[in-house]
Amino acid sequence: MSGLEVKGLKVVFETDDGIVEAVRGIDFHVQPGERLGFVGESGSGKTTTALALMGMIDAPGRVAGGTALLGGVDLLRLSPAAHAARRLVDVAYIPQGAMNSLNPVMRVGAQIADGMIDHGTGLGRSARKARVAELLRQVGLEPSVAERFPHELSGGMKQRVAIAISIALKPQLLIADEPTSALDVITQRRVMHTLREVQDAIGAGLILIGHDMGLMAQFVDRIMVLRHGRLVEEGEVRQIFRAPRDAYTKELIESVPALERRQAGTVAAPKDATTAPIIQLDGAAKTYRRGLFDRAGVPALQPLSFSMAGGTPLVVSIVGQSGSGKSTLGSLLLGFLAPSEGRVLFEGRDLQTLSSAERRESHRRVQAVFQDPYAAYNPFYKVDHNLAEPLRNFGLARDRASVLAKMREACELVGLDPDQTIHRFAHQLSGGQRQRLMVGRAMMLGPRLLVADEPVSMVDASLRSSILGNLRRMKDEQGISIIYITHDLATAYEVSDYVLVLYRGRVVEAGDAETVIKDPLHPYTRLLVGSIPWPDPDRHWGGDERAEAELAERDRQGGREPCLVRSTIPGFSLAA
Amino acid sequence: MIRVLKRLGLMVLVIWLAASINFLLPRLTDRDPIEERLAQALGDSGGSAVGIEEMVEQYQAKFGTDRPLWRQYLSMLADTARFDLGVSINYFPDRVSQHVLTALPWSIVLLGVATLISFVIGTFLGALTIWRRSSAWLARIVPLFMVLAAIPFYLVGLILVYVFALVLGWFPPARGYSVGLNLGWNPTAIADVAYHAVLPALSIVLAAIGIWALSMRGMMVTVQGEDYMNFARAKGLSDRRRFWRYAVRNAMTPQITTLVLSFGNIVAGAILVERVFVYPGIGTLLYNSVLLVDYFLIFGCVFVLILTVAISLMLLDLLYPLLDPRIRAGGEAHG
Repeated sequence: MSGLEVKGLKVVFETDDGIVEAVRGIDFHVQPGERLGFVGESGSGKTTTALALMGMIDAPGRVAGGTALLGGVDLLRLSPAAHAARRLVDVAYIPQGAMNSLNPVMRVGAQIADGMIDHGTGLGRSARKARVAELLRQVGLEPSVAERFPHELSGGMKQRVAIAISIALKPQLLIADEPTSALDVITQRRVMHTLREVQDAIGAGLILIGHDMGLMAQFVDRIMVLRHGRLVEEGEVRQIFRAPRDAYTKELIESVPALERRQAGTVAAPKDATTAPIIQLDGAAKTYRRGLFDRAGVPALQPLSFSMAGGTPLVVSIVGQSGSGKSTLGSLLLGFLAPSEGRVLFEGRDLQTLSSAERRESHRRVQAVFQDPYAAYNPFYKVDHNLAEPLRNFGLARDRASVLAKMREACELVGLDPDQTIHRFAHQLSGGQRQRLMVGRAMMLGPRLLVADEPVSMVDASLRSSILGNLRRMKDEQGISIIYITHDLATAYEVSDYVLVLYRGRVVEAGDAETVIKDPLHPYTRLLVGSIPWPDPDRHWGGDERAEAELAERDRQGGREPCLVRSTIPGFSLAA
Repeated sequence: MIRVLKRLGLMVLVIWLAASINFLLPRLTDRDPIEERLAQALGDSGGSAVGIEEMVEQYQAKFGTDRPLWRQYLSMLADTARFDLGVSINYFPDRVSQHVLTALPWSIVLLGVATLISFVIGTFLGALTIWRRSSAWLARIVPLFMVLAAIPFYLVGLILVYVFALVLGWFPPARGYSVGLNLGWNPTAIADVAYHAVLPALSIVLAAIGIWALSMRGMMVTVQGEDYMNFARAKGLSDRRRFWRYAVRNAMTPQITTLVLSFGNIVAGAILVERVFVYPGIGTLLYNSVLLVDYFLIFGCVFVLILTVAISLMLLDLLYPLLDPRIRAGGEAHG
């Protein structure tokens, strides 16, 4: 094996406006056993390059030049059928978002086995079954998983299955396209460790595509920074992080939230005398019941009481893994869900007993920003329609001129050019622009409280800072209180005044961001902090084994210990 | 198992409700079938109308239509439970169940087979139009079927009768079998029945293929955009496997829903085709019994109609978890 040698790769797309060069002649190589990172924002050509190696560039795109030698064969010269025969055998792809990459109606085992059948491994039925079991074990899953359907697996398990599929035929090259972008940090670290293990085991070269510089620093040997289809910089991972030569590389590195940089200032003194709480949880809990006869149900959120003072705008973060109950808490705060016990009070009134007029008003005063900035827009209308609707709905602007003025103001607040934004369709904006506009939209309505549920998890790292900055400014300049829900401790550290760590529906640790994240006490918080991939190649990205053991021990005891309240701040009180 | 029982209970409930409505509706008209039938019989035989009221009363007592409505209703429920659909007023003293059971197989075979054929061809063509976008013959044939789908099938049927029966004389224009044929499980009879079924079946098939193709095409477009299709391609799987096991298999689920539901509508759908081709099925029977206000026969036909809808709905509910593992009982995601 001599690895992959790419020279002068060029991919073009023929559009109505002429030829667009997506990849403009790049050279690189991947040695067996080596890990190469492709970084760059969306549109940089990193995924297109991978697709060219896979022979999966479709019309109107085509490979316009270059060579890609793998084991003495030029991949770019292969016929479509010959290239398809090489996939999985020589080049395997680990997809982004394994959540939906498995066929929902086929058992997992069959989806691992069908690649072996179609590439003619000549294994018999029982030998294939044994190989599937071996592969599952190799990626850290029970062999019995083969009998399950994809919907019965968690996100991390699905990603492991995708890895098992990709290594089944021991290819020379693995291409992993943001394999963990939808996973929380703890799962991400575990899955990436597994990926590294299996790669070492089969000795393949690996290309990791992504925009998370932290993950890159922890995982790859060499980094290629791409922008607009060109290679901006290439180098050993330490050189890239220690001494980046290009300004764009520096920008990418700096966009990673790091504990050294913090936007949050000190907590502002109360702006006015209203100390009446803006939002209050009074022993609120949520249990999901499955059907009429499920008396016990599945507890999603244990009884929780806290109160946020109206006069002191704060950013309070709620941090936890998927399944920790954080989104349930968000829905309770927004009044989308009714608590199974206790009450949720907005400005002193129970959200569940409001009259419809009051409810309407509360919908204006409590705004939300969600994870997927695309799903929040009606794709059939231009952006202005999506923005104007709530203005008219809540009677905030009567005539066209004032609607327009409000919209322009909203765009400017979040740093978007109104002329470039308002008269476009949502799909014509980038993910970052869409999400910023959602923040602007929320601000435009003059809310008192904003609930932001994973607002930056689907946005390029380089844009995260600016969106988080927008949130921060909302608090500082407009006095809006913010509940920031996330699985990402690093961003929580960056913006929040106070942090609640949620684990299995309970707040296990609470305090100001500085204390909780810099000096975590609870084993779960320690595990979360330890799992953050820091943009520093020399910092150990390992699981905190002691924390894991302690956590397992606490789980065995039922996990009923009181919340660790590390510090308190004015304007927020937690009754744990 | 509990789910199956629950589903059965629901089916019984649906049948009861429908049967009750079915019982009440014809009784809301002020036409009296017995009086009409007697008047008609008298008119035919040229007798006088003297004493007709007495006769009506006697017959009403015989059929039980003189009893209070609630008693009629209760005995209807009891009879229905025993599958006794009563006696036809028009074909007295034939049992309703006898007529229904004679007519039903004709409809089920004709419409069932025709629906299945059009489903298979239409679905396959619809799937192929997405899979083989560059195919020239597909690009011509599929729009043709879609045009045919826009024409009501009885109109297609009339055209077929005109061309193939009246002008060319290849097929019989009407009826389910030749006059004087000895019906039974012998090759001659089966061939004769199949020969008679060609045109009516063809009219349904031609009209339905386009509809199946269109809906399958829509599902295939959706499925093609799914991540698992992309991953299947990245795995270098064979074209055949990606088409059948990945694309068609996923796009089929809603198709099969529609198919099972359309089986439920066979009896209702039979009326028009069977009228056009004078086919001896349940559609013709229902049509005639409505014309003659034959309560018990109407009730019998409609009851079978309800039964087919209810049974196919139940089948669908029981079938769906097999088609889509995500709906299987207890199939909760972990983590």
